[in-house]
Amino acid sequence: MNKKVFATILATVLTATTLVGCGGNSSSAGPDTAAKAPGEKQTDGKNLPELTTEPMTITLWDIATEEPAKSAQEGAVQRFMADYPNITVNQVHQQNDNYKQQLVVAMSSGQAPNMYIHWGGGPMAEYYKSGFANDITDMYAKYDHPDFIDASVAQSTYDGKMLAIPFGGLSGCDIFYNKTIFKDLGLEVPTTIDELEDVCATLKKNGYTPFSLANASKWTGSMYYMYLVARHSGNAEFDAAYTQENGGSFTSDAFIYAGTKIQDWVKKGYFPDGVNSLTADDNQDRALLYDGSAAMMLHGSWQVAGIKADNEDWYNENIGVFRFPEDTEAKEKGVPQDVEIGTAIGNGFSFNCFKEDGSVDQDMLDACYVLATQYYNDDTYNQMQMDGGNIPSIKGFDSKIEDPNNKEVVKVFFDASNVQLWYDQYLPASVTEVHKDCMTELFGLEKTPEQIGKEQDDAMKKAIAEQ
Amino acid sequence: MGKENKISLAQAKAKSTARAATVFLIPALLLITIFIIYPVIDTFVISGYKWNGISSDRFFVGLENWKTLIHDEMFWKSFKHNLIVMVFSILLQIPLGMLLATFLDAGGKKFNIFKVIWFLPYLMSSVAIAFLFNYALATNGGIISSLATIIQGKRTTIDLLGTAPNALYTVIGVMAWQFTPFYMVYFIAGYGNIDTSIYEAAVLDGATRWQYIKHIAIPLLGPIFKTACTMSLIGSLKYFDMIWNMTQGGPAGSTELMATYMYKLSFQQFNMGYGSTVAAGMFILITAIALIFNKVFKVKEVD
Repeated sequence: MNKKVFATILATVLTATTLVGCGGNSSSAGPDTAAKAPGEKQTDGKNLPELTTEPMTITLWDIATEEPAKSAQEGAVQRFMADYPNITVNQVHQQNDNYKQQLVVAMSSGQAPNMYIHWGGGPMAEYYKSGFANDITDMYAKYDHPDFIDASVAQSTYDGKMLAIPFGGLSGCDIFYNKTIFKDLGLEVPTTIDELEDVCATLKKNGYTPFSLANASKWTGSMYYMYLVARHSGNAEFDAAYTQENGGSFTSDAFIYAGTKIQDWVKKGYFPDGVNSLTADDNQDRALLYDGSAAMMLHGSWQVAGIKADNEDWYNENIGVFRFPEDTEAKEKGVPQDVEIGTAIGNGFSFNCFKEDGSVDQDMLDACYVLATQYYNDDTYNQMQMDGGNIPSIKGFDSKIEDPNNKEVVKVFFDASNVQLWYDQYLPASVTEVHKDCMTELFGLEKTPEQIGKEQDDAMKKAIAEQ
Repeated sequence: MGKENKISLAQAKAKSTARAATVFLIPALLLITIFIIYPVIDTFVISGYKWNGISSDRFFVGLENWKTLIHDEMFWKSFKHNLIVMVFSILLQIPLGMLLATFLDAGGKKFNIFKVIWFLPYLMSSVAIAFLFNYALATNGGIISSLATIIQGKRTTIDLLGTAPNALYTVIGVMAWQFTPFYMVYFIAGYGNIDTSIYEAAVLDGATRWQYIKHIAIPLLGPIFKTACTMSLIGSLKYFDMIWNMTQGGPAGSTELMATYMYKLSFQQFNMGYGSTVAAGMFILITAIALIFNKVFKVKEVD
């Protein structure tokens, strides 16, 4: 029997060790062949820290597994290494899907990269508090850097400290629509939520699904929720719910309004059937636009690049964009109608340059800073970003955009009185999970707006208590 | 010195066998210690801490995490899902595997082509299967919904993965698709082990094929059934990969299993301490269930 007990224990023991292993492709880029005078550096004449002449290796993690991001980011690293041949940058492209978990594993086992991509928000704060992100406030004040827009600096900051250098470009969130369908039905672009509902009703009557939405991904449905909350209350109610102070709650007016509206739209068939099983990762929402069954899609502005890459002619002919319509009632009460949802940085690099004894490895940090500010974010890099349909979060770039939809996206973004970062990146990690599950339940009509508000409150209270 | 010379040959052999066994077992023991025993013990140790998984600060909180676990509705809900998966896995995979094996056993060599085709699902990686079924079951252009549309003559959506009770049973079905071939091969091997003379004797005594299967083959396969059930039981209680890739525990936690819950806590919510508690809780529950199962079956055999 003892043997059997032991055997059973052995057989089951693996359950406790179902953890992922680390892995990843490493690619070391070779020197660039760009025509430049020998000895001349791209950084010459700028106010930057003097970099070491000793050999040094920097490990960099990004998620640029696919073009065009891959060439743009490898190019930046190559230009840097050509200028500073004593510094080797070991650029590792991680798979996006597992990236956050891999980073956690690497940090906990002391294998964290020296420079790594993230999306700002709650996780960035977590990395900093755990001692894996350098505070670069002083360096940023002292040395040259691109003229980032204010919102993107704000988003790279936590607790008054600058923790990241943006490089991914900004993303707005707007409604993309099929111009041809609108024209055929004689529809105008709606400017108020009431008009939007009229448009939906007409579309539905004519056999179209008004909104294309793939809510298995959950953050997609969250966009509707966030915007309805923002139009009904600006930032006020979300900010209050975030602190849970002074009566702030996810069951307050705007949240109930948003939840009720969404469920009303679900019941009227304004979203596709099986909305909770469609995934945005494989673009099932875009597919509904392509086959002409859906007419509108509220989504991040990266969709411009995606749709364009899929079929540029179709894109040019059919796709237009408008900002999320206004809430007339709230507007009369003085609620600002120009709070936009999105992200000002897209991605940022944080630095993890510490010596064995825990003190800052300034030599390495200097090198990382120069790489992130002068080679990422340089003209070549930004041009490649623009070609790929991305908008660098640097002042002045709004005027260089040619794509009419991207122009509109940027106009809306820059005119915004405030940019609300996606909830699923702004909220603490534990609340994010609850919020996302609530989105499934909301669109699936499984719980009421009050119930999901209560759940989000509980999660938020717990997260605050644990801080 | 004289004494040693008196060791018999048998004793000398036993001694050298013991020595050889020790030498050969040490590497395995080392690996088991490093990769299994140590992580299990460490999991229990971490379960006593409040730790985000990356920080060098850990706070010892004693049994705090365990108290939370006992009252954690989500954990017990996942455990319930695991039990449902377990029951259906045993009820679906083993009888189906048995049925296919019987068919192949009766058919002999001419059915070898089926053997190969039916075994294919088991050769595919869980991740590939997850993607495959996600596409097949998609409400937008998936096979099922498209067929329904053709049959109904208008756009029809069959949402198998996006609504609460459906999703779990859909996933169970996909699991059965994946694992039935394994049990099929297992039972084919079992049939192969039954001496052909037994079959011949039965046929000479006038038994039909069905009588042979019912009264002779199945009782002889008894121990194999037991092992198959134990494997299926443990497999379904610690299941992770395919479900993670298909639903990530969604929609709204309706396919959350203990393992996916553990993963989310540990790596997505920065709560490694409590994640470890869930892992340790899983370890205890699975060991207990497996032991009980073995005990119950043993009693039956004696009867």
